[in-house]
Amino acid sequence: MMSPHTEFAAMNNSEILVVKDLNVSYGESKVLFDANLSVKPGQVVSCVGRNGAGKTTLLKTIGGFLKPTSGSIIFNHTNLIGIRPYDIARMGLKYIPQDKRVFSDLTVRENLELGSYATRDYNWEQVTSLFPRLKSLMDHKGGYLSGGERQMLMIGRAILGNPKVLLIDEPTEGLAPSIVEQLKNVFKELSKKTALVIVEQNLSLVCAISAKVYAIKEGRVVTEISDEESIRSNICEQYL
Amino acid sequence: MKVLKWWWGILLAFLLLGAARIFLPLPFANEIIIFSIYTMGCNFLLGRVGFISFGQPAYLAVGAYATAFYLYYFGTNPYIGILLGIGVGLVVSAIVGAFFVRLRSDYFALVNLALAVIIFYLMEKVLAKITHGDNGLWFLANMSSTPVLNLGKPGDFFIFIFLVAMALWAFYKYLDDSLFGACCLGTKINEDKLRFLGYSNYSIRWMAFIIANTTTALAGSLYAVYFGFVSPAITHPARAADPVVVTILGGVGTLYGPIVGSIAYTGMKDLLSGFIANWELFIGLLLVFIMLAGEKGIWGTLDPYLKKAFYRKGTVPK
Amino acid sequence: MDTQLLISGVIFGLSIGSIFFLLAIGLSLCFGLMRIISLDQLLYYSVGAYLTYTIHVATGNTWLGVLGGMVAAGLVSFGVERFVFLRIYERDITFTMITSFGILFAGIGAIKYIWGLIPRPVPVPIDAQLQILGTGVPLYRLVVIVISFLVYFGIWLFLNRTITGKAIRAGIEDVEHVEGLGINVYKLFTITFIIAGILSGLAGGLHSSLIMVDPQMGLEVLAFVFMVVIIGGLGSIKGTLASAFIVGQVVSLGSLVYAPLAQMAPFATMLLILLIKPTGLYGSKLLKR
Ligand SMILES: Nc1ncnc2c1ncn2[C@@H]1O[C@H](COP(=O)(O)OP(=O)(O)OP(=O)(O)O)[C@@H](O)[C@H]1O
Ligand SMILES: [Mg+2]
Repeated sequence: MMSPHTEFAAMNNSEILVVKDLNVSYGESKVLFDANLSVKPGQVVSCVGRNGAGKTTLLKTIGGFLKPTSGSIIFNHTNLIGIRPYDIARMGLKYIPQDKRVFSDLTVRENLELGSYATRDYNWEQVTSLFPRLKSLMDHKGGYLSGGERQMLMIGRAILGNPKVLLIDEPTEGLAPSIVEQLKNVFKELSKKTALVIVEQNLSLVCAISAKVYAIKEGRVVTEISDEESIRSNICEQYL
Repeated sequence: MKVLKWWWGILLAFLLLGAARIFLPLPFANEIIIFSIYTMGCNFLLGRVGFISFGQPAYLAVGAYATAFYLYYFGTNPYIGILLGIGVGLVVSAIVGAFFVRLRSDYFALVNLALAVIIFYLMEKVLAKITHGDNGLWFLANMSSTPVLNLGKPGDFFIFIFLVAMALWAFYKYLDDSLFGACCLGTKINEDKLRFLGYSNYSIRWMAFIIANTTTALAGSLYAVYFGFVSPAITHPARAADPVVVTILGGVGTLYGPIVGSIAYTGMKDLLSGFIANWELFIGLLLVFIMLAGEKGIWGTLDPYLKKAFYRKGTVPK
Repeated sequence: MDTQLLISGVIFGLSIGSIFFLLAIGLSLCFGLMRIISLDQLLYYSVGAYLTYTIHVATGNTWLGVLGGMVAAGLVSFGVERFVFLRIYERDITFTMITSFGILFAGIGAIKYIWGLIPRPVPVPIDAQLQILGTGVPLYRLVVIVISFLVYFGIWLFLNRTITGKAIRAGIEDVEHVEGLGINVYKLFTITFIIAGILSGLAGGLHSSLIMVDPQMGLEVLAFVFMVVIIGGLGSIKGTLASAFIVGQVVSLGSLVYAPLAQMAPFATMLLILLIKPTGLYGSKLLKR
């Protein structure tokens, strides 16, 4: 166990999110072993790994939805362990789940209203400028949206309130290449203000936008690549 | 070695009960034993399979009425009456269970309650011609005396149900340790995993349901023979939660839970209702307290201490 | 069958259905949002009825009593939520079902302690009869029906027009996503629980003058209310309304055909519906937790 002092010392070079020695289990079965991760403001960090490696588990734990058995998560000088997910979200760290489920009984407008309600941020300009498509869908029920539109809505309602870190779980899963291309630009645009932690299987996307890549294998962070050159040249393929 | 140990526990429990026979009035002892048989089924369903049923009186009534019809209309031998109760209970729970175990656990609880209500009105109103409605069926005088253990005599009856309860205990203990018991726990904890291992959740639940509710029907038959009388009150909806309460009181899924719970519940009911009219307040608060304090129940709480007391250091089995 | 009997039967069924609806709607919302089976709602129903009785005895005004009953039910439910449910929302349904049954049971004991065992009568606040097609129908029953429809529209407006209501609707679909947006879901839980408690109190207050108020009254309607919730599909508001009136009519018209049917027919209906559609009329398969 590190003392709080050294934990904060680790944040000297202005990291916004530091995960240290995180262990997570579901009941008896342990899924995450001593995971470490750090993110600087505005940085795009990707996590890659096979199905079942524990990527979702990692993001959910950071978002406060799972209780780790040990370890610490420091976000913006606060230890997040034990804080409820809604408070974490309000502090500016939001998790966008993998399941692509928007509230199907609510319209797009109402979905966005809920994002605004929580954060008191009613500036929808930034959402509609990133996703012009949503403007024409405002009164459609979430349940009738296509997969791509849902992903746009999920990201759109999450960026209300200008979060400092977005955790995005497999955003391009099952989406057409043109939409993936669009999302890539969105992520580049977003990263001007927000740090992104993206779990992704689409390596060309990962290689194009990430400043740092973590490879996760069977619940362990096996490699960290922070050298842009090797990331751009597709080195992470071997970990998938 | 292991076999010996749990036998000790049961022997001890029964020795206490046997001793209690001397101090306690016989009706009280009889009631406790039948009640604990009644609760065993609920305890098994809730503790091992994760199904809670607010309709156990339905199966109790099935056994009781099967025995009562036989003893009132057809025969005189109480043993045959009890066997019939078990048989009918088996058939009914097999049929009903085939539909019910498909339901989610919350629906399951309430559907069983519905069945209890239906049987109540069936017996009270619809079949009033043969069940004599609220007046009930009286057949104490019809029962012939039987050799060895004469069930008409409360003393002999006590010994009989004592032996029955003991056999059931051994049976449920055996189930707990068997592969089937493990599968039951599996359906409760992680049904997907169990399916991947190649077991059918449905048939395991169905089997468990049949076993549990046949036991309940047996308890119903025993009530019938003991009182020599059955009326629809046995399945009154207001009594529907009794076995659940007793199960929780005793400790869910524990071997001795039903007997401990029955003693506590019957005792408190008799004692408290003598002092204060509103024993429900006490039982209800106790129930909430037990749930909030880790749902271990009376036995579950005592268990570790007793083990510490009875076993030498380091030999406590887990 | 003669029309007079039929008309009064239908009205009787509608008013019973209204009471069932008021009770079931709260249960259904609680299940939908918090995934709890709150058997203790039946306690708030009894509290509402008893307060109506007491206030009527004190002031001679039944309506004032109903209002007081709602307030008391709301307060008791708030207390229970604070001290018990807030600790156990995360637990599985079986757990909350047993715990809430404990609360109901304890509450019945407390009621016996405070008001005694004797059933108490409450007079009907409106004696007038209305002529419908030549049949005299008690106006009070019609008022009860109107109130329940007003409540339905009130709830509809709340869920569709207010942001809290929208958050509750979203939470019924997926609590985790609502939480992920930064909304304090425990506040939503408390609001929903208290609304349910108040509506149960209203149901008790309105029902008190149609029946005798007695300590077991909660247990007596328990089975019917749950049947309503199940037939409608746990968590569905539209389904609850539909099934409350179905059950009301089955009880009322069933008893016209053959008296014992009154109690049995609804349960048989429920078994039938569940065998055909195991999730109820409007229930969804998608259930997390
Ligand atoms: N609720 C749960 N209970 C038990 N085990 C779980 C649970 N959720 C996930 N697991 C297990 O934890 C491991 C990691 O799961 P996780 O969802 O984090 O993987 P992932 O890397 O996100 O995979 P994918 O790429 O398929 O989304 C898996 O082996 C999974 O079976
Ligand atoms: Mg995943």
